[in-house]
Amino acid sequence: MIKDFELTSNMVNDVLVMKTEGYINNAGGEKIAQEFDKHYSSGITKVLIDIEKSNVVNSIGISFLIEVIEKLNHKGGKLYFSNLDPSIEKTFTIMGLFQFADKVSSVEEIK
Amino acid sequence: MSSDLITQKLSFHVKSFQESFEILSGSNSIFEMSKHFERVLSGSFFTTGISLFHKKEKDLSWDTLLKKNSDEHLRLLNKVEDELFRISSSSDSTEIYTISKLVDSSQIGIVLGKRFDGNPYTEIDKITFQIFIQLFDNAYQALLSLQKEKKLIFSLNNRVSQLYSLIDTGIELSKIKMGSDLLELALSRAIALTNASFGRARRVNSKGKVEDVFFPPNIDIEASPDENKLSKSFTDYGIEYEFALCEKESRDGMIKFDDTDELLLGAIARQVQAAIENDRANKEALENETMKRELEVAAEIQKRILPVDLPVIEGYDIAGINIPSKGVSGDYYNVFELDDGRIALIVADVTGKGMPASLLVSTLDASLRSYLDFHIPLSEMAVKMNAIIYKSSTADKFITFLIAVLNPANGEIDIINAGHNPALLLRKDNKMEMIEAGGVAFGMFDMGLPFEGKKLKLDKGERLFIFSDGIPEAMNKDEEEYTDEKLEKFFVEEKTDSADEFINAIVTDVKLHTKGEIQSDDITAIYLIRK
Repeated sequence: MIKDFELTSNMVNDVLVMKTEGYINNAGGEKIAQEFDKHYSSGITKVLIDIEKSNVVNSIGISFLIEVIEKLNHKGGKLYFSNLDPSIEKTFTIMGLFQFADKVSSVEEIK
Repeated sequence: MSSDLITQKLSFHVKSFQESFEILSGSNSIFEMSKHFERVLSGSFFTTGISLFHKKEKDLSWDTLLKKNSDEHLRLLNKVEDELFRISSSSDSTEIYTISKLVDSSQIGIVLGKRFDGNPYTEIDKITFQIFIQLFDNAYQALLSLQKEKKLIFSLNNRVSQLYSLIDTGIELSKIKMGSDLLELALSRAIALTNASFGRARRVNSKGKVEDVFFPPNIDIEASPDENKLSKSFTDYGIEYEFALCEKESRDGMIKFDDTDELLLGAIARQVQAAIENDRANKEALENETMKRELEVAAEIQKRILPVDLPVIEGYDIAGINIPSKGVSGDYYNVFELDDGRIALIVADVTGKGMPASLLVSTLDASLRSYLDFHIPLSEMAVKMNAIIYKSSTADKFITFLIAVLNPANGEIDIINAGHNPALLLRKDNKMEMIEAGGVAFGMFDMGLPFEGKKLKLDKGERLFIFSDGIPEAMNKDEEEYTDEKLEKFFVEEKTDSADEFINAIVTDVKLHTKGEIQSDDITAIYLIRK
């Protein structure tokens, strides 16, 4: 399996900010889920994924994002996305991600 | 223990059973459920020594969900492997354990270790334990139903998303510039739609030059085994396009591409093909529009140059015609009076048509009128005009040119023929002369080659005919030309009373020959009779 994916993360106040770069597929989605799980056990409830540098996402990658959303939802938390490519935004909308996740322009927008 | 007592003791747990089921059925996975189950069991049996194992099929090994003293606990379970649903206990009853079959035929093995207070498990505890295991199975069933429902919704949403993506991709491909951007967009969309891991779009031109686009960039597609590939190709105007996708992904690893993937890739490939064809059609339409506008301008230029009426020359009758073959003629003709009273008759033929030919005719007309005003010898004028045309035209453009300057008073004519069809002169005695004197066509060479002029005299009753090659070379559908011989014969035999009549007659004769075939070249002619 080709791994063309980079992930960086940092905490901004109480928000876990993850920045992705490359194809969000099985490998990419797994990496996001693993990074999220590391912080989830410590009680994190707000996560922002900045996907400015990812313009291709497949359904396997989306299934990992849905898992993150479900876990956060379970704890009353929320997943946020920023810098969405229009075609990815449309895909996420159709796949129902925005029923439980939100779009923001920056981390400061998250209260 | 009497059944009444058992019922009484269990009734204390009813609320606990209800709450436990609510907790367990709220789980998103069997791992989460097992953690909830641990809390439920430890609260009910006052023990933290709980191990929970799961296996999808009887013959597979156990997956550990909860691990407390797991090696010892696994040994206990192995002892009762064939005793499903039976609650077993250690000899001192301080540990109880069982293997149960779940709704999907998978199995769970549970061991309750020693209690905090060290007391043994009672019969009531064993019954309570069995009820909790049943609750677990019910919650597990609910979890499976929920997962199935989620999977179905995901799959339906994914299908809708694929359709939208296909539509959007078609629109985007029709807008994007041709080249690698087109292939890159199509490839990345095909990869995302089919869950391929990576892929390549290849274009091979008619000379075998290969251009590859990869997604993700810089991957080695050749390293992927053939069974993990899906490809589609098409050819457009000798250029071969191929899209190859590799290694379809799933959450459980690599799987084979299916029929839907083939349809999706085929649809994307067709969209690319349509985008390429549409782009070519648009370019052609644009070129046609440009050509049309160019021809309109050229026609306007020509309209201003070609004569509307020919001058009336006392003692002579003159007529001329120009019939362009396709909108704008590459031929030029004119008759005008010079300031010394002489009359210039000119026919010229520019190679090519359209705007370039029209501009060259314009240059010819302007330079001709300027030099004629200087009254220099025609041979000298021809050298100067050749130099101008040579500088004004491209290598493939030249002009054949014939000028006859008539002195109406005495019928003397000066003629220069620069590579044009010879003028025909019909004497009173019905003998025909061909006037070929001159030189090469204007614009071919600029080496100062001389042009030799000719003087002749037109007596009363004699006729002069100047024409372009559109007459002798007019072709019928069998590609047979009208020919010089036929033209010369017609010129000699058709001695009409007026110049107009002759022009009309020759045009009619040419059309009789071509029998409605599309005119292959411009027809231009001047006919002069001395009365």
